[in-house]
Amino acid sequence: MDIEKTIEALACENGISGDEFPASAKAAEMLSQYLDVTVDDFGNVFGVSKAFDESKETLLLDAHIDEIGMIVTYITDDGFLKVDKCGGLDMRLLLAQQVDVLGRETVTGVVISTPPHLEKDSKKLPEIEDIYIDVGMSKESAEKVISAGDRVYINNSLIRLQNDYVSSKALDDRAGVAAILYALELLKDKQTKYNIKVQFSVQEEIGVRGATIGAYKSDADIALAVDVSFAKTIDDKPDKCGELSKGAMIGVAPSLSREVSDKLISVAKCNNIPYQIEVMGGNTGTDADVIGITKAGIKTCTVSIPLKYMHTPVEVVSIADIENTGKLIAKFCETEEKSC
Amino acid sequence: MLENLKNLCELNGISGDEGSVRDYIINQLDGKAEYKIDNLGNIIAFKKGAKTPDKKVMISAHMDEVGGLVTYINQDGTLKFEAVGGVDPRVVFGRRVTVGRNNVNGVIGSKAVHMLNDDEKKTAVKFEQMNIDIGCTSKEQAEECVSLGDSVCFCSEYCLFGDGKIKGKAIDDRAGCAIMLKLIEQELQYDTYFTFVVQEEIGLRGATVAAYSVEPDYAIVLEATTAADVPNASDEKQVCKLGNGPVVSFMDRHTVYSKELYELCFDTAKEHSIPCQTKTMIAGGNDAGAIHLSKGGVKTCAISVPCRYLHSPSCVIDKNDFENTYELTKNLLDRIFNNDI
Repeated sequence: MDIEKTIEALACENGISGDEFPASAKAAEMLSQYLDVTVDDFGNVFGVSKAFDESKETLLLDAHIDEIGMIVTYITDDGFLKVDKCGGLDMRLLLAQQVDVLGRETVTGVVISTPPHLEKDSKKLPEIEDIYIDVGMSKESAEKVISAGDRVYINNSLIRLQNDYVSSKALDDRAGVAAILYALELLKDKQTKYNIKVQFSVQEEIGVRGATIGAYKSDADIALAVDVSFAKTIDDKPDKCGELSKGAMIGVAPSLSREVSDKLISVAKCNNIPYQIEVMGGNTGTDADVIGITKAGIKTCTVSIPLKYMHTPVEVVSIADIENTGKLIAKFCETEEKSC
Repeated sequence: MLENLKNLCELNGISGDEGSVRDYIINQLDGKAEYKIDNLGNIIAFKKGAKTPDKKVMISAHMDEVGGLVTYINQDGTLKFEAVGGVDPRVVFGRRVTVGRNNVNGVIGSKAVHMLNDDEKKTAVKFEQMNIDIGCTSKEQAEECVSLGDSVCFCSEYCLFGDGKIKGKAIDDRAGCAIMLKLIEQELQYDTYFTFVVQEEIGLRGATVAAYSVEPDYAIVLEATTAADVPNASDEKQVCKLGNGPVVSFMDRHTVYSKELYELCFDTAKEHSIPCQTKTMIAGGNDAGAIHLSKGGVKTCAISVPCRYLHSPSCVIDKNDFENTYELTKNLLDRIFNNDI
């Protein structure tokens, strides 16, 4: 499996929260090489290992399939679109961005920006109420192809930077999806300690909703929430972040299972897989928060791929980090005991 | 003309580094006009017409676009840069750029939105706070890919969208260049000078010397100008509107335009049923500012394509306005030569 090609194919699909079907379909197609796959009404993708053994514990591998974006709320008399946020939108970068509106057809638009001569203060950021999308159409033309509820996103497909870094929209969390797929590739034809279930969950960015129902249906004993987390940029303090190219970030937090964290750390050490520890003071802001308290409780931990510029169309990850995250997950699935 | 506009917009040529745009234009000029390149890099072209008029007319458009320059390489391999031309920092953050002659991919980012405090969430990132990430992990590695002084250019594909709209970077002023190329392609009635000039965005510098060399009696500046016909601008502040035709100004921050030419523009537009509008604000400026003060003074007018989101990677114009700007210019030229002035 070519990790870069996989992540590229996943990241270019659309999957803004609540409307993930294109991304879900692509992920389901890829997952079906390894597992029996179903997609539910919400767009959640589920995979179950073909050789399901009732005597084994069940491990749920979760990554979310949705991405942040915007949603059309209104079309003005002049044909401009008003929008609201889907997820934690970064208002610093919206003005004059080219966007795609996913109407009855995909429509190109530009986020309006007020020209400098009218702008008293170019230091101020717009609020979402100030944002309009210019689709270059009259209201009448716009209404033929666009409706309230259509999603809007910034369409940056993958580009390569120096070293093994790539930049794209939606690497949060298609990188996690790719890492799970790579782990399954490594586990092909191998015995595993657990029954393996996979879910690619919808609506994480608007409140970890897909994982809530997915985890309920999974009857899992253990879960790994595979997401992205903050890699240090030049503007961050080192104590708040991981680093690119230093391997998966293993979560340690009061809301996570210390037992699973410890096993992950031990597996990484024994197999010389690079890793970093990510300490969080309470909840994690990932699907792990709801998975852990599903039904009578699931032992859950986060495994995160370091990523720079989260929630922007120029997110950056290292291909080697995705590979090493996949390796860590695969070894975790294979390994019988905590020690080695 | 649209083909040329697309090709021109997709070339990178920030002020002072217009080489690739110049090469493209020279290639188009071959066999159609005489030209020379002056010391600043302006193309001064002369197209022989059927007749030699008693007055010299110069049409001018600028080749350069706004962007940035690499000023420093940080220890972690990211790059500091400075804006070239008037750019709102809010249309630069979170973008892709290409850096230098090797077109190295870069992205402009900072700490994640999750890490911002309340003040930071409301405040635009300033240029001096921005860094370009090209994926290098050390200063030494970055030095192998880029050099100080390398150009930083927006990445934005030219595309048609909506009801006859065009989106691209650098439409200001490759639109003017494309119109001039179309004029040069055909047989002209009268001898005409065409100048494709450099360094407009940093102070009308190319046009200053080009006008000195040409010594025109009349000058027509072809430009793209701010249209603010967007929902949060009140009607009188919209300046001009897409779809209402070329914009002819009576005055901006640099020039009080020739009243004669101003009126001749509208008269010509009326005669040929070309839609035409004026600017409803005294704002902006263009190469006319330098040309009309050249030597003993030059009667100058500016004909502009109305353009939304000027100086951003996503400039938007209307295809009809672009074509009508050409039509108006061509007909105005005839009127000037035919002594209607």
